[in-house]
Amino acid sequence: MAPPAQTNRSPSPSQPSGKSEVTDLKSQLRQLAGSRLPGVDDSKRELFKKVISYMTIGIDVSSVFGEMVMCSATSDIVLKKMCYLYVGNYAKVNPDLALLTINFLQRDCKDEDPMIRGLALRSLSSLNVANLVEYLVGPLNAGLKDNNSYVRIVAVIGVLKLYHISVTTCIDADFPAVLKHLLLNDQDTQVVANCLLALQEIWNGEASTSGDAMKEREALLSKPFIYYLLNRIKEFSEWAQCLVLDLVVKYVPADSNEIFDIMNLLEDRLQHANGAVVLATAKVFLHLTLSMTDVHQQVYERIKAPLLTLVSSGSPEQSYAVLSHLHLLVMRAPYVFSADYKHFYCQYNEPSYVKKLKLEMLTAVANESSTYEIVTELCEYAANVDIPIARESIRAVGKIALQQYDVNAIVDRLLQFLEMEKDYVTAEALVLVKDLLRKYPQWSHDCIAVVGNISSQNVQEPKAKAALIWMLGEYSQDMSDAPYILESLTENWDEEHSAEVRLHLLTAVMKCFFKRPPETQKALGAALAAGLADFHQDVHDRALFYYRLLQHNVTVAERVVNPPKQAVSVFADTQSSEVKDRIFDEFNSLSVVYQKPSYMFTDKEHRGPFEFSDELGSLAIGTESDVPAHVVEAK
Amino acid sequence: MLQCIFILSDSGEVMLEKQLIGHKVDRSICAWFWDQVISQGDSFKQQSVIASPTHYLFQIVREGITFLACTQLEMPPLMGIEFLCRVADVLSDYLEGLNEDVIKDNFVIVYELLDEMIDNGFPLTTEPNILREMIAPPNIVSKMLSVVTGNSSNMGVTLPGATASCVPWRTTDIKYANNEVYVDLVEEMDAIINRDGVLVKCEIYGEVQVNSHITGVPELTLSFANPSIMDDVSFHPCVRFRPWESHHILSFVPPDGLFKLMSYRVKKLKTTPIYVKPQITSDAGTCRINVMVGIRNDTGKMIDSITVQFQLPSCVLSADLTANHGAVTVFSNKMCNWSIDRIPKDRAPALSGTLLLETGLERLHVFPSFRVGFRIQGVALSGLQLDKLDLRVVPSRLYRGFRALTRSGLYEVRS
Repeated sequence: MAPPAQTNRSPSPSQPSGKSEVTDLKSQLRQLAGSRLPGVDDSKRELFKKVISYMTIGIDVSSVFGEMVMCSATSDIVLKKMCYLYVGNYAKVNPDLALLTINFLQRDCKDEDPMIRGLALRSLSSLNVANLVEYLVGPLNAGLKDNNSYVRIVAVIGVLKLYHISVTTCIDADFPAVLKHLLLNDQDTQVVANCLLALQEIWNGEASTSGDAMKEREALLSKPFIYYLLNRIKEFSEWAQCLVLDLVVKYVPADSNEIFDIMNLLEDRLQHANGAVVLATAKVFLHLTLSMTDVHQQVYERIKAPLLTLVSSGSPEQSYAVLSHLHLLVMRAPYVFSADYKHFYCQYNEPSYVKKLKLEMLTAVANESSTYEIVTELCEYAANVDIPIARESIRAVGKIALQQYDVNAIVDRLLQFLEMEKDYVTAEALVLVKDLLRKYPQWSHDCIAVVGNISSQNVQEPKAKAALIWMLGEYSQDMSDAPYILESLTENWDEEHSAEVRLHLLTAVMKCFFKRPPETQKALGAALAAGLADFHQDVHDRALFYYRLLQHNVTVAERVVNPPKQAVSVFADTQSSEVKDRIFDEFNSLSVVYQKPSYMFTDKEHRGPFEFSDELGSLAIGTESDVPAHVVEAK
Repeated sequence: MLQCIFILSDSGEVMLEKQLIGHKVDRSICAWFWDQVISQGDSFKQQSVIASPTHYLFQIVREGITFLACTQLEMPPLMGIEFLCRVADVLSDYLEGLNEDVIKDNFVIVYELLDEMIDNGFPLTTEPNILREMIAPPNIVSKMLSVVTGNSSNMGVTLPGATASCVPWRTTDIKYANNEVYVDLVEEMDAIINRDGVLVKCEIYGEVQVNSHITGVPELTLSFANPSIMDDVSFHPCVRFRPWESHHILSFVPPDGLFKLMSYRVKKLKTTPIYVKPQITSDAGTCRINVMVGIRNDTGKMIDSITVQFQLPSCVLSADLTANHGAVTVFSNKMCNWSIDRIPKDRAPALSGTLLLETGLERLHVFPSFRVGFRIQGVALSGLQLDKLDLRVVPSRLYRGFRALTRSGLYEVRS
């Protein structure tokens, strides 16, 4: 499976032999160039094929450029196509030789066969050599007026290519005006679509310098034009429909009647077999109704089913992209999807980044009625072979517990996790129980009974260990052996590598001391001594602080370290709602898949040269790097 | 807007490179891509959208062939992915299957196709029927023809009529001596059965596939006996929306040949045709496994191609599995495959055996999920029934055929 890295670089071993073969080809082509013998086309075709296949492998065959051009005088269309392909690939590096091709391409542009006219025009406009653009204007003009739509389709895109090679030539030849005429009048919808594509790009490019272009660009969003496109939308190809829908998103309707008209017109697009059309339509619907809260909710209901179908029907690649969009919607309006939670159940052989998205959605849609079932499902994943997912699902159970008011059943489940005797399950569950207790102190009795049975030796992960220690400190009055466990942990101070754990240990010992002074005194002394000698600045400072506090006044110290606590009502979310709104505005774009607004990954300013590659590392695990919306760490 | 498409073989070779705009994308992007694949493994290969340091990549993998497209601009992701899927579909249709050799042998055709399918990075014609008219597929008939006539061009002589017609998926001048239309209901059942044997999710995803060979421009209508059971439908562009809205009738002018007319979902099914009951008990370093398979609801039709697949947890050292019916294979990656095919009349198939666990492990902590495969011919398990198929103008000879098939989709039983 693992591909050898060298093959894709360049033709390393075959390069020398490739060179001699290229010279070989060169001489053979030269022989054929002038020949008019019957059957010469077939031998040419074999040679051309060889040239193209070398080109494909990555061998530089630009040296046969002259011979290829000489051989191009033929009526065989496949030969022509191969020649066009070759020329298109090498013209840019051989601008002088490219001049040689102009002649035969221009001749082909006048061929009887519309297909040859179109193909020749396409190659001519793909030459991409700046000093040859003068030869392009004439054929393009003719192509735009051609009576065959195939040629016009090619010519319109040709204009766009010309624009990118030489802006002034394109504008001076007045092509935008011709395109505009075609846009409004051509019978063929593909021509119209291509005009739209080309004009959008051209006017976008010109808008910064020219007031006219700005006006033209705004005119694309005028009511008559939008309606002209919308009324014909069914005639457009599916890709062109995406283009039109993308334009409609930017249109601002005058009143709500207009909004409903547009939505009625587009409703059946949601049942299109092409996922790109469905998503583009969904975007139009969502954006049109942003200001109408009730309708906006109905839109969610309406687009829900098509999206869910796309997830289950498409290839895994499609379903991932759709799932990312669904994820966005679920996060915005979980209640709309609350009845569909079964769609987000993970299948065994799904890749883990899909499972991760699904887990987040399951967490979001859980409500009073579905919680039990969802948690049951999540618990099955906890025994999953895929350990990261097992961890995620335990976290998901915890998150659901933190959302719900009725946590009775969930607490039981979490406590069961603690009894599963798998270290990573125990670790995750401990962290959760800690968070749960911060929100629902009333459960402390049940939880502590179970947590008390866990031997601290079995907990190795710093986060889990810190959680366990926090609970030992916080509930030391309920756990008979809390001081002794803390004491033994303190004795192993030097073996504890995580500063976080040591900080928690310090605080826990302090808390325990205030509740059960005689039993803890020894541990406290040892902990403070070890803390003062600690090389970690924070640990050292905190130990010093506690020490001085105790020296100053023990009651004050108790008030500082062990104040009465209020239950936490909401834990902080890591992604701000502003960012989420930005992503929503960019529905149906890459941002949704990355779960980041586009400015964060397309703007150069927002990413340093290195930051981007860091992101890539985290992409491997899932799509998002910053959403493990975990709880803010307790101090 | 896509800037470049690469077609890569499984060994990492660039089989084809199609630059779409003036701005050339360097091949080194493929090297970067493979470096990532090697370092991150298969989960990376399955991601459809990837950010590289210079480009955004779309990838799909079909039959070991990777289709990779690059862009530098924000664009609808589904557009890139859908397009690549179409390219893959069209190629496998043209070349009658996809593999490294067939693409290398026919790379000229692949170039020709890509040339028509996308221009300047924007998808153009992806309708297979139209492409077929512009570029002839490299089949035996055309090879024969080229040998006999000496004309070796595989190009259509004329431009397709459909590019100018308002029914873009069909040409106007199709003629058949025998007019035939076949309608197939193909359903896939997705189900999850949890540890306690409860059916937690059971859904059917179905497609109506039509294969039509009819002269001229036929107007077809297709109706169902019970359309209300379908939850969500999506249509081929040829289906008219109004008749479906008002009467739940499919009215359409079909493309020529085989195509997917519509797809639908049926939610919340109550039963599955077969049951698979795994039992795993473990104690003192060994583990007993026992799996029973049987028919739950007799649909009256033969269920065949039954398979049960499961992945043994990594803590299992060795497995000794036997079955009273069918063949059991344990692969080196600890994947087990039990192929039963048909359930015999006289006894229920059962697989049993022992698993030896890693030393030091008393009990099994992670349990495998069993993936079940089956196929039932002649019945659509959702209960969807075709009512009738009509033509507005019935040609002299018309043969109509209906078939149904249900097979398992993602059907898993957890233990």
